[in-house]
Amino acid sequence: MELFLMTITTGIMVGGIYALVALGWVLIYKCSGVLNLAMGEMTLIGAYVSLSFYSMGIPFLLALLFSLIIGLILGILTERIFLDKLIGEPVLTVIMVTVGLSFFFKGMVELIWGTDTRVFTPPVFTIEPIHIGPVIVGQAYLWSFVAAIILLIIFVCFFKYTRWGLAMQATADDEMAALSIGVSARFVYAASWAIAFMAAGVGGTLLGNINGLNISVGYLGLLVLPAVVLGGLNSVPGAIVGGITIGILQNLAGAYLDKYFPGGIKEIAPFVFMAIFLLFKPHGLWGWERIERV
Amino acid sequence: MSTTWLPCGIYHQNYAQDHAWWQTKFIKGKMILLFIILFVIIPLFADSYLLSVCNQVGYTILGALGVQLLIGFCGQITLGHAAFIAVGAYTSTLLILEFPWPQIMVDYGIAYPFSIIIAAVVAGIWSVLFGLPSARVKGFYLILTTMAAQFITVDFIITQYVSQIGGRGQAFSLPPGTIKVGPWVIDSDLKVYLMMLVLVIFCVVIMVNLLRSRVGRAWVAIRDNDISAEVMGINVVKYKLLAFFVAGFIGGIAGAFWISNIAAISPEHFPWFWSLWLVGVILIGGVGSIHGTIFGSVFMVVVMEALQLAVMPLADIYPKLLMDFLFIKEAVFGLSICMFMMFEPNGLAYRWWQIKNYFNLWPFSY
Repeated sequence: MELFLMTITTGIMVGGIYALVALGWVLIYKCSGVLNLAMGEMTLIGAYVSLSFYSMGIPFLLALLFSLIIGLILGILTERIFLDKLIGEPVLTVIMVTVGLSFFFKGMVELIWGTDTRVFTPPVFTIEPIHIGPVIVGQAYLWSFVAAIILLIIFVCFFKYTRWGLAMQATADDEMAALSIGVSARFVYAASWAIAFMAAGVGGTLLGNINGLNISVGYLGLLVLPAVVLGGLNSVPGAIVGGITIGILQNLAGAYLDKYFPGGIKEIAPFVFMAIFLLFKPHGLWGWERIERV
Repeated sequence: MSTTWLPCGIYHQNYAQDHAWWQTKFIKGKMILLFIILFVIIPLFADSYLLSVCNQVGYTILGALGVQLLIGFCGQITLGHAAFIAVGAYTSTLLILEFPWPQIMVDYGIAYPFSIIIAAVVAGIWSVLFGLPSARVKGFYLILTTMAAQFITVDFIITQYVSQIGGRGQAFSLPPGTIKVGPWVIDSDLKVYLMMLVLVIFCVVIMVNLLRSRVGRAWVAIRDNDISAEVMGINVVKYKLLAFFVAGFIGGIAGAFWISNIAAISPEHFPWFWSLWLVGVILIGGVGSIHGTIFGSVFMVVVMEALQLAVMPLADIYPKLLMDFLFIKEAVFGLSICMFMMFEPNGLAYRWWQIKNYFNLWPFSY
């Protein structure tokens, strides 16, 4: 029972980070219709940037802030250089451009930072675990969760109450109508990439704090794909629920199924679950079902 | 896009001419010249390095044909094709190493060709298994299930379980002399090259013939609009699964062929990168064109080799470059896909078609 509770708690905590990254993914999809496969590499870049700043001796929060700024710049640049020219192209073209981007980013990250595992030194969070009732939680997990939740709330407030956020919501809802009332779609596209890059960067930094940072963090970033599919591609609450579900599922599989299927079941479980889930609900939990006509 | 206009003064007078592989004397001469170059000139004059590059091209063509079939002709985007190539390679290897072949089959060299066929069928069935969701999901959701195929097959089943068979640990190594086709032991680049040619021609002929038959027309209808295809009376699920089967079949042949070229086989030969690479190859070559598959494969392999040749002299000055080459390769691959998508979205095959049409009516193109 204790194991179960602990697994669930850890799952929720990691899931919070996935939810944050998944939110960025859904944002890009909703605003510009781009299915982004480069999300894993975006988390990687953000994580390495903040690690570099942190190793220079800059305080962690400030390093995180710098990585947010760099994420903002990179996001806008990516959108302007690559995606801007592809508006209206077929889906496969756009997907493959993001795949190309993911290779480009990955190659660049490996060239600049190498492939060895790096850790945040000195550790940002103390190793001392915290006892919440019967459950023991690592500090890194707890604070990552808190940070992810705070950022999620900030993002949601941004969409609900600011002018830019409302413009983005309008574009996501109906691009034509938004254009006709004077919302600049190009601005919204750039903003969505910038926000996604920032969210991915924070997610990557937090994940890097938990287990150390190497290329495999990019694989964790790839786990947002099952998360968003679970929630439905164009649903923000779906992304959050999906992220947390994937986190829990992954940890449950690691804790219970590992005995029967030794090896990498923890990494595979989300994908297996997703493939089976899609057979029953082909549009995720809250995704739009498009009615197709010939 | 694939049809070319006939030159002035040549008309088809019966259906046999219309269906002919080589429609004019000129094309026939061109193809015979190509065959002479492939079968005589290259084996006679190429050195071992050039042959190994050719073998890589052939492997890429075999792998990319299945992807081309799924993406270019049936509209089912797949990002997990390396899984089916891996299944083919592992089935063939395991059959050679573990299966108790009758001695006479080993002596006459039937075992390996036989294992290629079985590997292809197994890979095809495995591919159908992961194509089943295509009955219900499409678009991005289907992409994710094919991705799941990659992770489940290569990273989980093969790495954790298949690799343990026989207690060899990570890699299977094939002792020299086990891969034997008829009386020939496949042990040099030249023999691998000739086998590659035969297999590539075999698979291309299968593909082309399928595509110009009822099956191929059904696939193209599904690609263009699956609902109207269904309305026209095409059994969409059946043909989608058939496409997955044929794609997996050709992928299995690719995998089973490739074990003749590499001495040891391990899961690292079939990463997700390789699946994406194959998709990149057909995008650069041109989606929906067999020519495109071949052009894309040649282009990618040659560009990467040229890059390697360009980087290697620099490695004396910066030794770090040698280690980093893999990363440079990745970055260049990514960037070239982006550039092609942005500036040449129809791929190399479209350029080829334009050139051909220009010269068809040359010098009076009006």
